[in-house]
Amino acid sequence: MRRTLTTFRTLVAATILTATVGASSTSFAQQTRDGLNPTGQNPTAESVNEEFLFKQDPKITGRISIPDGKAAHLIQPAGRDYRDFRERWLPWLSALAVLGAVALLGLFYFFRGRILMERGPDTGRKILRFNGFERFAHWMTSSCFIILALSGLNYIFGKRLLMPLIGADAFGVVAQYAKFSHIYLAWPFMIGVALMLVLWLKDNIPNKIDIAWIRAFGGFVGDKHPSAGRFNAGQKMVFWMVIGFGSAMSVTGLMMIFPFALTDITGMQLMQVIHALIGIAFIAGILAHIYIGTLGMEGAYDAMGSGKVDLGWAKVHHDLWVEEEQAKNASGPQLGRHQVPAE
Amino acid sequence: MARMKFLCDADRCIECNACVTACKNEHEVPWGINRRRVVTLNDGKPGERSVSMACMHCTDAPCAAVCPVNCFYTTADAVVLHSKDICIGCGYCFYACPFGAPQYPKVGNFGSRGKMDKCTYCAGGPEPDFSTIEYEKYGSNRLAEGKLPLCAEMCSTKALLAGDGEMIAQIYKQRVIKRGYGSGAWGWKTAYRETVAI
Amino acid sequence: MKAFIIALVVAVALGTLAAMLLNQQQRFAYQAFSTSGARVSDPAGHSNLVGPHWNGVTPDPEKPSKS
Repeated sequence: MRRTLTTFRTLVAATILTATVGASSTSFAQQTRDGLNPTGQNPTAESVNEEFLFKQDPKITGRISIPDGKAAHLIQPAGRDYRDFRERWLPWLSALAVLGAVALLGLFYFFRGRILMERGPDTGRKILRFNGFERFAHWMTSSCFIILALSGLNYIFGKRLLMPLIGADAFGVVAQYAKFSHIYLAWPFMIGVALMLVLWLKDNIPNKIDIAWIRAFGGFVGDKHPSAGRFNAGQKMVFWMVIGFGSAMSVTGLMMIFPFALTDITGMQLMQVIHALIGIAFIAGILAHIYIGTLGMEGAYDAMGSGKVDLGWAKVHHDLWVEEEQAKNASGPQLGRHQVPAE
Repeated sequence: MARMKFLCDADRCIECNACVTACKNEHEVPWGINRRRVVTLNDGKPGERSVSMACMHCTDAPCAAVCPVNCFYTTADAVVLHSKDICIGCGYCFYACPFGAPQYPKVGNFGSRGKMDKCTYCAGGPEPDFSTIEYEKYGSNRLAEGKLPLCAEMCSTKALLAGDGEMIAQIYKQRVIKRGYGSGAWGWKTAYRETVAI
Repeated sequence: MKAFIIALVVAVALGTLAAMLLNQQQRFAYQAFSTSGARVSDPAGHSNLVGPHWNGVTPDPEKPSKS
């Protein structure tokens, strides 16, 4: 009895085993047919591909075994867009802004001419407008600005204008030093902008007088001179342009001096675009400032040249400021006496 | 003349980094400068693929276009090379490069990061072929010896292909037809504005 | 005029100072992108791949050391 049971058990086990092996061997034969994966899956079904990854993100990023995080970006087609901006749009935009500003100023000079000083009872007497420290802050910022503007334009126009003239090798050297000056003189420029903000902020808060000044077109049109304090609305606009553009240039510039410190490749491209666009607008704006401060208006340059302006000119252009100064200083605004600086 | 290209068959790349090592050794590239690198996508997930990437020697190369000193030039074999004498290390080429190829010897600030270095397709630079100065600046010039880039030559699975664009595209097509799948020629659309049509 | 000349001198001085400071914090790629396992200098330092505190003795296999 027991023996029969054992035999039966063995038989059942053998049958099951044979059946299993048979079944599995047939399926094995099916799976190893040429071109098919043993697991029965298509290996491409799960594999990543470019189109799929570009649908998720404009750049393809993976894992990298080297400690340079930038290298993890496999493909970033946005580089082509950045190139389009820099090579197709930027040269034309900058040429338009810079040459356009020069042309407009030329037209203004041609039609309006130099704004001459009006002779009056106070002509010849002087009043201190900017003290030594104010002039120092102005000239430090402005001399740096001129170098920064020229070396900045060199990044755009150097290879188009200067390189054909002096040759590739000489231009390489010039561009290298232009780059050094751009990086290093950016620092005194930033300090200068900060100094000017501290020095002149309180005189540049917009107020009601400015609206009247703008309504009268600042006296550029017609013979009447609208009232103005220490700075008229036009000068305030220059001040706020310098502060606004200056700080925007500083922030984007610092991001570019320390590349990839705070942002990735997309951020760096954006910083470069902003820096370039604001840069050319800044240059155009400062060209107007240089024009009106030197050639455009007689007597204006003295404010930053010697610091002392003609009292008659000051009474015409900055009447409220002169009143304030004279009230502050009972001994009168004449020079040669001890006096409180215009600040 | 051939139109030299790279093609990485991601279905074959096993991320052994031999191409990276071969490149470093052949050109004595310093540590930290990666002319070639292997990026793993979907790491640790099903469908993971690795792609070996270097300068793709693009058609109408963006780096060459944005360079403010025009230090790039394209050889007769369509290899994009540059002159380290003219380069000012401004880094614009890195912003424009779709493949992150340009490398700089110094890290930190923009001021003095040194001359840009990138894959030369083992074709040296503007200096005379096989000169010491060429080797020091750009590495060896295998192309002038009639050899292909070492990274592709010694790829253990022949995932990385280098050579004439049409020829390597043909090899890749045959592979895809034979095995029935392929994740595509990575970067070709961006670099050459074309894909390998199967 | 005096303020102008002082401004130029100070601008150049500040620029030079900035150049010096910026160059001081500049690192080579092999310094910036190296890890503790990387040997980028003298191979006689015996710190390659085994960390800087390796004493040259192979650890006893029965007492696995935390390294």
